[in-house]
Amino acid sequence: MAQRTPSGALRDRRGRSASGTRLWTWLMLPGTLWMTGFLIASLILVATLALGTTDPLGNPRFGFNFANIAAMADPAYRIVLLRSLGFALIACAVCLVVAYPVAYTIALHGGRFKNLLIAAIVVPFFANYLVRMYGWSVVLSDGGPVLKALRAVGLADAHTKILQSGVGVIAGLVYGFIVFMIIPLYAALERMDLSLIEAGRDLYGGPLRTFFFVTLPATRQGAAAGAVLVFLPAMGDFVSAQLMGGPNQIMIGNLIQDKFFQGQNWPLGSALTMLMMAVLFIGMLGYLRRTRKDEAEAAR
Amino acid sequence: MTLRTPHRRHRRGTDRRPRVALTVTAVFFLLLYLPIAVVVLFSFNGQKSLTVFKGFSLRWYSAFFHDNVLIESLGMSLRVSLVAMAGSVVLGVALALGLVRCRTRLGSLAGLIMLVPLITPEIVTGVAAMLLFKGMDITLSSGTVMLAEITFSISYVTVILRSRIAALNPEVEEAAMDLGATRWQALRLVTLPALLPSILASAVLVFALVFDDFVLAYFTTGVDPQPLSVRIYSAIRFGVQPTINAVGTLMLAGSVGLIGLALAIPRLFGRRGGLDLLSGK
Repeated sequence: MAQRTPSGALRDRRGRSASGTRLWTWLMLPGTLWMTGFLIASLILVATLALGTTDPLGNPRFGFNFANIAAMADPAYRIVLLRSLGFALIACAVCLVVAYPVAYTIALHGGRFKNLLIAAIVVPFFANYLVRMYGWSVVLSDGGPVLKALRAVGLADAHTKILQSGVGVIAGLVYGFIVFMIIPLYAALERMDLSLIEAGRDLYGGPLRTFFFVTLPATRQGAAAGAVLVFLPAMGDFVSAQLMGGPNQIMIGNLIQDKFFQGQNWPLGSALTMLMMAVLFIGMLGYLRRTRKDEAEAAR
Repeated sequence: MTLRTPHRRHRRGTDRRPRVALTVTAVFFLLLYLPIAVVVLFSFNGQKSLTVFKGFSLRWYSAFFHDNVLIESLGMSLRVSLVAMAGSVVLGVALALGLVRCRTRLGSLAGLIMLVPLITPEIVTGVAAMLLFKGMDITLSSGTVMLAEITFSISYVTVILRSRIAALNPEVEEAAMDLGATRWQALRLVTLPALLPSILASAVLVFALVFDDFVLAYFTTGVDPQPLSVRIYSAIRFGVQPTINAVGTLMLAGSVGLIGLALAIPRLFGRRGGLDLLSGK
C-alpha cells in the first residue's frame, strides 16, 4: 500500500521508502565489505592453507592434501586437544560455582550498591590482560599470599604448588574470563521474579530446595550464556598455560602459536586452528539447541 | 497472609542473608583485586625484588620514561588505538544504522558477518589476519595492526550502537522529514546528535580495548616497534623486570580512567543511553 507522505517519499505499509532502504544499504556497505574483505576472506584463507604443505625451507605452499588434517589424529595432538577441552570445561564449571554466589549476592542483596559492585567487577577486566595475569601468577606463586593462607589453615603443605600445574592454568583461565559468567548471571537474576523465591518458601521449600528447584532453573539461560562466553576465550587462550602451567600443561592455543612463530609450519598451524574452530562450533551448536529447546518450552 | 506491597515482598525475599554466598563474594573481591594491588605496590618498590617490598621509590617509573624502546612502543600503541578508534567508529556507526533500519536480506547477512569476531577466539582472528597480510605480501607493521584492530572493533561499536538506535523513536526522524528535511539531513541533524553520547562512549571503549589488546597485536605486528602489550608479553615470558610493574600500573590507571569516562559520558550529557554494560541488558 504505497502512500505519499508530505515529504513526498513513497512508502510501503511498514513506512519504508525506497530512498530510505537505499541510504541504509549504502551505510551498511563499507563496514560489511571491510569485514568480509579482512575477516571472512582471512578465515577462508586459514581453511585453505590447512590443506597446504610446506616446502623444504618451511615456506607455506597451497595444495590439496589432507596430511595436516590426518595429523590431527596423532595421539600427541589428541592429548593436547583433550587437555584444552578439559581445562576450558573445568574453568567454566569453576566460573559458574564462583560467579553464581557473587551475582546472587549483588543482585539480591546489593541494594543501592548494586551498580557500584558490578562496576567494581567490570572495570578491572578492562585492565591489560597480561598485567592482570602476571599479577595473578605472583599471587599464586610459591611464596605468594594464597599459598601462605592455605598453609596457615592447613589446606596446603610446604610442597603444594599452584603454578606449574593444571590447577594453575585453570586458575588463570578463571581469573581471566569469570566476568563473562558474572554479567549474564547477574542480568538473569535481576530479571527474575523474586516472588518465585517467596512462593518456593511459602510451599515449605527450604533455602537449598528453593534454590535448586526455583532460582537455578529460572536463571539457567544466563548460566548457559555465561558458559559459552567463558568457554570460547578459554579454548583459545595460550597465555594462561604459558604463565601458570609448565611444558606439560600446554593447550591447543600454545600449539597454534608455536606452529606460526617458532615451528614455522603454517599449514599445520592452520589445521590446528580449524580443529579448534570445529570444537567450538560443536559447542555453539549444543548451546543453540539447548536455548531453542528452552524457548520452545517457555512458549508452551 | 495479608496483602503486601511489592516493596515489602522484595524485602522478604532477601531477608535471610546467605552466609556462604556472602563469604564467596568477599573472597572473590579479595582475589580479584589482590593481583592488581601486587602490581601497583611493587611498581613503587625501592628494591629489584618482586616478593619483598623495601622502601617507596619511583625508580621504575623513571626507568620506564628513560627506556626508549618502551616509549616508542607506547607511542605506537597510542597511534594504533587512535586510528582503530576513528576507523571502527565511522564504519561501526554506519553499519549499526544500516542494520537497524534496513530489513532486507542483505541486512540480515551483514548482521551475521558482524557477529563473527564476537564468536571467534582472538587467536583465530589473529592467525587469520597474519596469514592474509603475509599472503598479500604486506610487511607486518603498525599499519597491519591498525587494519586488524579496526576489523575487530567494528563489531563492538555496532553492538553498542545497535540497541541505542533501536531504542530511538523513528517518528522523530520522520517528523524532521515531514518538515522538509531530506533523509540525509534528518540523519545528520536529528539522529546522530541523539546518538552522540553512545558514539563517544563506544569510541572511548574501543580505544581502551585496542590499547590493551594483546593477541591480535601479537600476530599482526612487525618486529620494531611493537605495541606496548606485546613488549609486556616478552618481558613477562623472559624474566620480569620491575619496570613492567610501573608500565602495568600506568596502563591500569589509563584503562580505569577511560572506562570510567565511557560510563560517565551518558551522564555528562544528562540523559540515559550510552553503555549498557552495567544493566546487563
